[in-house]
Amino acid sequence: MSGNRTTAVRKTHFAIHLILIVGAVVMIVPFLWMILTSFKTTTEATQIPIVFFPRHPSFAAYAEVIEKSDFPHYYLNTAFSALMKTVFPVIFSSMAAYAFARIQFPGKTLCFFLIISVMMVPNAVFYTPQYIIMSKLGLVNTVTALWICSLISPFATFLLRQYFLSISKELEEAAILDGCNPFQIYRFIMLPLVKSALVAIVIIQLLWTWNDLQWPLIINSSPEKLTLSAGLATLASAFYSKYPVLTAGAFMAVIPMILLFFIFQKRFIEGVAFSAHKG
Amino acid sequence: MDMNSRSKYAWAYIMIAPTLIGTLVFWGSPAIYSLYLGFMKSENFGLINHWVGLDNYHKLFRDEEFWRNLRNTLYYVVLVVPLTLVFSTFFAVLMNTRIKGASVYRVIFFLPQVTMPAAVALVWIVLFAQDFGLLNYFLGTHIAWISDPRFAMYALVLVGVWGGIGFNMLLILAGLQNIPRTLYEAGELEGAVGFRKFRHITLPLLTPTLFFTTVILMIGATQIFDSIYLIIGKTNVALPSVRSLVYAYYQNAFVYYDQNYGAVMVNILLLINLILTGFQFMLQKKWVFYE
Amino acid sequence: MLNRKKSWFVIVSIILSAALMLAGCGKSKSESSNSPSAENSPASSGQASEKASDSPKKDVTITYTIWDQLQQPAMEAIGKEFTAQYPNIKVKVEVIPWNDYWTKMSAAAPAGTLPDVFWMHSGQFTKFVSGNFLEPITDRVSTGKIDLNNYEANLGSIYTLNGQNYALPKDFDTIGLAYNKELFDNAGIPYPDDTWDYAKLAEVAKKLSQPDKGIYGFAAKMDTQTGYWNDMLANGGHIVTDDMSKSGYDEQASIEALKARYQLILDKASPTHQQMTDTDATEMFKSGKVAMIFEGDWRTNDIDGSDNITGKWNWAPLPKGKVKRGNIINGLGNAMSAAGKHKEEAGLFLEFLGSKRAAEITAEMGAAIPAFKDTQGAWVKSKPHLNLQVFIDQASEAVPYPAGMKSYPVWFPKEGEIMSQAWGGAISIEEGAKKVANMMNQAIADNK
Repeated sequence: MSGNRTTAVRKTHFAIHLILIVGAVVMIVPFLWMILTSFKTTTEATQIPIVFFPRHPSFAAYAEVIEKSDFPHYYLNTAFSALMKTVFPVIFSSMAAYAFARIQFPGKTLCFFLIISVMMVPNAVFYTPQYIIMSKLGLVNTVTALWICSLISPFATFLLRQYFLSISKELEEAAILDGCNPFQIYRFIMLPLVKSALVAIVIIQLLWTWNDLQWPLIINSSPEKLTLSAGLATLASAFYSKYPVLTAGAFMAVIPMILLFFIFQKRFIEGVAFSAHKG
Repeated sequence: MDMNSRSKYAWAYIMIAPTLIGTLVFWGSPAIYSLYLGFMKSENFGLINHWVGLDNYHKLFRDEEFWRNLRNTLYYVVLVVPLTLVFSTFFAVLMNTRIKGASVYRVIFFLPQVTMPAAVALVWIVLFAQDFGLLNYFLGTHIAWISDPRFAMYALVLVGVWGGIGFNMLLILAGLQNIPRTLYEAGELEGAVGFRKFRHITLPLLTPTLFFTTVILMIGATQIFDSIYLIIGKTNVALPSVRSLVYAYYQNAFVYYDQNYGAVMVNILLLINLILTGFQFMLQKKWVFYE
Repeated sequence: MLNRKKSWFVIVSIILSAALMLAGCGKSKSESSNSPSAENSPASSGQASEKASDSPKKDVTITYTIWDQLQQPAMEAIGKEFTAQYPNIKVKVEVIPWNDYWTKMSAAAPAGTLPDVFWMHSGQFTKFVSGNFLEPITDRVSTGKIDLNNYEANLGSIYTLNGQNYALPKDFDTIGLAYNKELFDNAGIPYPDDTWDYAKLAEVAKKLSQPDKGIYGFAAKMDTQTGYWNDMLANGGHIVTDDMSKSGYDEQASIEALKARYQLILDKASPTHQQMTDTDATEMFKSGKVAMIFEGDWRTNDIDGSDNITGKWNWAPLPKGKVKRGNIINGLGNAMSAAGKHKEEAGLFLEFLGSKRAAEITAEMGAAIPAFKDTQGAWVKSKPHLNLQVFIDQASEAVPYPAGMKSYPVWFPKEGEIMSQAWGGAISIEEGAKKVANMMNQAIADNK
């Protein structure tokens, strides 16, 4: 009886593994193809029948990407604007979220509503007016323009407020008796309690910023002011169907985040999962 | 007490100030400005502006292309959202079975999420190619995936689902892990196994997560741009069959230099998003199960 | 409401100072984030640095933006030589690919962030002048610093509007027929020459095609300047009417020419539009999959630099049409921004770009056919194994690019979108041509 049950379990587990392996292969194929293509020649990449492995793997495509585009700047600009777009929203949002969760003040509902309502608006609605603002400030085609509009995050504010609401009030009450002001309570008592939430925000903000294409495409033009994604779009315009060059660029663009992901995979996965709990 | 609450107010305002001001300046006022732009006609790089009332909207509603773009956008949403949900849920349930190596699968499935869509798009172009593409090679077909109007939309849906599974699977997995084991044990005693267990125990308890996931997926899917811009491109015969509202907005506002016409398109998109989300929240009462 | 620049600055600085304040009480988390932002400050404090540039000896870097990465080495060489003359002025060459160039430039223009010096195109020129974004160089011309007579016929006049000069001729370009000698030899067919007409082209293209091997006689690509515009002109059609009041796409001769080109795809003498979307037609030519293709002289270095084809190809003139040999000639210009921060230095560089020396560098490096008189010979000699002379010879009978229209920037990007529908088979060629004509006429009416 129990033997039957174990074989049944074993069988289902085998089937599950099989399905998951197929899924995993589908997930991975584009990466493999990216790497393989980047080492081919253009002729090999477009040959019929398909050439799977480059006959003479060469770094020529990488050399061309390095020579013909400005990857050092793409990396720097992307990393820097990602830093700005994660650090500031985390600070500002946690502060605001705490105030919205715990302090009673006039106009609170209105302010919260104003912030939250922005979440409903598709990004594209903002681009033209934001472009006009940047234009008036003389910030078009600058690194600053990449992040200045995103120093705040309504989404993070919303998520963190939910989280603060779920924390018990006892700790704070003791601190109020000690004469701490609301900012001190937030900074020294509450903030340490929501570390995991902050990590989640950092990860989600990081992924969003890292991947953003449309805004940098609109606002910046000089190669040295572009982010990785906009730089790749430029590469695609310039090299059209030189696939080894395009995939070499793509590989160079994705590798930092993939490394980061492998190093902090637990945090990434927990971070994303976290947002589900409080959503 | 009065003094105390006044200083409390002051602290509250200081603490919300950056977020509130930032939101109003960089997001709120642009949203309103976009509405305003819709009633204007700008000339010469926006150096001259004059009020034209509803002219832009009249033009938009008489523009066949707009209706087609709207239809494309909605079609994409209708395909991508359920497919992503189904696959994500399916894989999440499989991974929740305490099999060995689940964490490895999780990492692999999440991989597309940490790769930039712009980078992935460039690889998809190669994979989709008619003559030398891997997809046709495996399927034994000879389809021009990205330049045949009949197939291009499905190519984009494939890219969208592929890129979305990892993230949503994790959200759903987290939801699954919140379901107390005791409920399953109770269900098993009553003879619920396999699909029945899923249908009658898992699914109802998962609805809040699914609801949240659907809302996020939908807002994202209505804004599809990257893959059209990079995979389809400007001189592709399939462009009219896949062009989304956001792509049309980009073309009009920044390639054809008609900011006002671009603005009315995204204003309509805003309206659609509000309707869709409102609809979701109304339907929510019917199918979402809160403990 | 958005005009109040100051209030924006105040708001931004409030946010930023709030951020700094916080960084102070937090554990100096964002210390590192402050220093890189200093690097951006010139952009945000434009007014301040304007004053600083009054003293000419100060080190200055000017940006020179171009759209052809193939010409980058030559443009950088010119920049270097200029810096050797003016050691305090460095030149940074930036490439924005053609497909993005005008979108980006049009976004930069009203924001006042155009590069100091940049390539101008005859089609786009009027629009940029009408926004007052280009610095007039009339003074430099009238004081004799620049002599427009130095340049080949008429090139100097392209960038003149209402009596003002706005750009210096850089180069001119014409179109040629590139052919793969090996494919011709294998089939035992003599190479194309100046006796060829379109019928001959179609005939040979069919003979050379082996669709089952993925080899095609001709790339009937959907393209304007290096594509069907030449066909339309050769057949007696027009792109726009001579008075620029109407599109010429719906003229019978134009439609006929378009149809003839498309027929080559139907006859399997050319790859399909879908195939040419997957792989750029010129890349196909480079890898020996296409025997003949129309291309601009500016692609010479690119094609010849490809290992597969070098030594196996050459240029011939375009075939003759029913009416004439159609060929588009276009002249690029160098222009400078009216809002530049270093106009004095930019002006000096612009003059240098218009000099004979700059033309010689352009020619010797084979980058483009210089506009400066008597320097074209050096370009022809830059690749002695290729018949570059065809481009110079064709110039005299060529038709200028449809320039000087305010509506061009509007209709040009839309043209490609509509024609790709026809080329991809979604609508007929005739329908496509008529749609383009309607769209162009509308654009012309809207942009008087």
